[in-house]
Amino acid sequence: MSHLISRTFVSTALSLGLLALAPDAHAGNGKIAIKAGRVITMVGPDIVNGVITIEDGRITGVSADAKAAWDAEVLDHPELVAFPGWVEAHSNRGMDRPNENVPVAPFLDVRDSIDPISFYFEDSLRAGVLTINVQQGNACVIGGQGMVVKPFGLTIEQMLVKQGSGLKLVAGARPGRSRATQAQELRKAFLDLRQYLDKLVQDKQDGKDYARREALFQGKDLEKEENKKGRAFEGTANWKVPGLEAIPRGEIDDQKEPLLRLVEGKLPAFMYCDSGSSVQLALDVARANGFLANTVLVLEGDSWKAADAILEAGVPVVLSPNLMYVERDPLTGKETETFVPKVFSEKKIRFALQSLNPSAQSLWFQAAQCVANGLDRTAALEAATRTPADILRLGKRVGSLEQGKDGNVVLLSGDPLSVRSTVQYVVIGGNLVYDRSKDVRMKHLMNGVEPNNTAPGGVMLDASGHPCNDAPTVDEKSKTDKGEKPPEEKPHDDHKDEPKKD
Amino acid sequence: MKLTWMLGGLACVASNAHALLRPAADDKDERKAWTVRATKIYTSTGRTIDKGVVIVNNGKISAVTPGSDEGDASTELRVYAVTAGLIDASARIGVSMDAVEQSREVAPEVRVASAVDLFSPAWERQVECGVTTVLVNPPDRDVIGGLGVVLKTAGDNAIAKRTLKPDAVLRGAMGSDPSQGNHPAFGRPTDFYSRRPTTRMGVEWEWRKAFFDTAQSKQDASKKFPGVERLEEVLAGKLTLSIQAWTTQDIRTAVFLKEEIEREGFGKPRLFIDAAAEAWKEPQLLARSKTPVVLPPFPVGGRTDDGAFMAWNVAQLLQEQGIVVALSAHGNSELDGRLAMQAGYAMRGGLSFDEALAAVTINPARLLGVEDRVGSLEVGKDADLVLWNGEPFEPTARVVGVIVDGVLRVDPRPKQ
Repeated sequence: MSHLISRTFVSTALSLGLLALAPDAHAGNGKIAIKAGRVITMVGPDIVNGVITIEDGRITGVSADAKAAWDAEVLDHPELVAFPGWVEAHSNRGMDRPNENVPVAPFLDVRDSIDPISFYFEDSLRAGVLTINVQQGNACVIGGQGMVVKPFGLTIEQMLVKQGSGLKLVAGARPGRSRATQAQELRKAFLDLRQYLDKLVQDKQDGKDYARREALFQGKDLEKEENKKGRAFEGTANWKVPGLEAIPRGEIDDQKEPLLRLVEGKLPAFMYCDSGSSVQLALDVARANGFLANTVLVLEGDSWKAADAILEAGVPVVLSPNLMYVERDPLTGKETETFVPKVFSEKKIRFALQSLNPSAQSLWFQAAQCVANGLDRTAALEAATRTPADILRLGKRVGSLEQGKDGNVVLLSGDPLSVRSTVQYVVIGGNLVYDRSKDVRMKHLMNGVEPNNTAPGGVMLDASGHPCNDAPTVDEKSKTDKGEKPPEEKPHDDHKDEPKKD
Repeated sequence: MKLTWMLGGLACVASNAHALLRPAADDKDERKAWTVRATKIYTSTGRTIDKGVVIVNNGKISAVTPGSDEGDASTELRVYAVTAGLIDASARIGVSMDAVEQSREVAPEVRVASAVDLFSPAWERQVECGVTTVLVNPPDRDVIGGLGVVLKTAGDNAIAKRTLKPDAVLRGAMGSDPSQGNHPAFGRPTDFYSRRPTTRMGVEWEWRKAFFDTAQSKQDASKKFPGVERLEEVLAGKLTLSIQAWTTQDIRTAVFLKEEIEREGFGKPRLFIDAAAEAWKEPQLLARSKTPVVLPPFPVGGRTDDGAFMAWNVAQLLQEQGIVVALSAHGNSELDGRLAMQAGYAMRGGLSFDEALAAVTINPARLLGVEDRVGSLEVGKDADLVLWNGEPFEPTARVVGVIVDGVLRVDPRPKQ
């Protein structure tokens, strides 16, 4: 009746053996209508028997009576719950290595490190996490620039949601360094920038053209509009660079340029803090260098104790995945527990949650824990949808089901916060990119059903050893959609050979 | 029914009055009489009461009945749900590697009760997670490590008073744990001859030799060894045997050992397998030998100790085959790893709520032979209650109150 999912998509999914990892594998016309028994929009009351229509990758309507275009595919599941998909505000996963061994490296970009076929992204898709800000790890001073991706696609370009999501800075002591060294190195990075810029101006005034020659040597096109012009130092730092307008921006070293963008308020900062004292350092550095308004704190450990300072600074936070902070009195041995999201919720500080891991303790679990520990349900859901979307400046694109937003929808078997709910379908940008009934690896993880066999090239073989390239017919598909169990493996009785006697 | 409730209520009022007269020592309310009202009472007997009362008197449950969930908040406890205290049949708390007996690989006479540290903070954490009864075993670095003990998680700081069942199981292990590293369990090797065995086959040989010698020693006294009496009890079916086996091959070895003992006419051991992560691979083997299973905590990413792979539906699969299943958290008290969440994960794998509840209450109680005291909400049983602010085992719910032997250990009432 309504399972008009493109045959092309289904066969692509099958021939890849696992998930249809190639975007645009869906060769439909970009129009899809999703009917669900309940639609959680995150911007108002849930809609019973709602319809979400998507065209050209954007949501065109969400209501109980939205009309789908006559030529739109229809995903009709009155038994399922539609949800906007979780948003991960900060993650070090999915990269080959989270940090370079250069402590100050603002020029690095995670796009060179993200591994699109990492299991992390596959698991995120299964868990309904559809927007992920991948940032460098915490073993650095300035780690580089992050990037927002969707967990789908075989190349970075296909996964891309937003480039340059923010610069990673670390205020907590990295392994092997003291807190004081870390503070000194972090402050020095900005002093170095200032001295470098001053020297550029001085050299220009002295008639030296080292910077220009270096830029040309590196192959930069200095005739390009944005490279040609100089611009006065912007930003609200407590220091200035007089005369910077004399320097064509193209002459500024690429290794320094991202830090200048940060200081000029053109690049957000994700500052990692491992304790209350490092929060103070982070806020000091952000204030002194004029990027406090663009700062997000990523908290760990007892950083929550600095909640008042955070409130005063007015910055949002990304909380540690360990939601319960346990402190043991060293003398009495008495343990006290603090549920961290509660602290921020009571102080009305905007906070986003982080996954503990990409599978069973993903964002849904973290949000559920917030409900268990006294937050209201809406606040808990928002901390893993709308708030991280806002923090990533993607509030107009993801985090809720509204007209004009990206066509990203998760269809769940039940309430998003229930331990029994599972993700059944995922639509990203109007394309059906995940179908649990086709998820071979999930069957293995869940039911212990091993994939029959996988031939080289990832082609699934059927029981008789032939590649299953043919898409199932619509009838076959609707059977599996009704939640029928996969055929159980027959118990093979090969234990008749008993052990020998002594 | 109503009469029982009223009588219980009267008794409760009387002892409340008594508690009020008695000055509270150390700011601790040690009274053992409570009225708990709840929207849901999950009894672990297959019965669920919508809106009801559990009355606790003198450390025992005196009534479990339907009734209003509205009551006098100043003297009663009111919560969303009540279950029996949770039981962990493989709580790895209170003992360290110091408790490994290193003189022999087969040490059936060693009692872990002598080594348990009741002052570890782990006990209080378990109480806060709703775990009220645990089996504590010797660490699994010996082939046969000794005798496990069933303890309450709260109460007097004396083993004798906390013991629900002494010498509850004889504990041993298959797999790599007892053969790990041909060296002492801790510290440096002191001589050339280090510990044996060093392989899985050596571990199996030690097991079979121990039971063979036990059977032979009836005729031949020279075969006797320290603790042989305990193995005789196992063969006679008087002492439960608990074997740790994570992987399929180790589960096979344990089941084959039991079947071999029966075939040889040595005896009829009562066996359960602990940490059987790969039990899903050959459930028919466990069904055939009627061997109950304690599952380890669900691992992140699928792999457990000993490289075993644990599928999400393992509890449901075993339960379908008629195998008795208990869940364990191995002493984990983190939000995502505690016993209540293990029950939730088993539900994610397809187990029904009632079966999940049984797997952390009455099933482990039966495995440990303490079902007459704990494991369900029934009149006359120990007053071990867990009070929840939502549906138990869902991550949206939390343990807000815990009563152990009638004493309120975690108070659900808002702090004043």
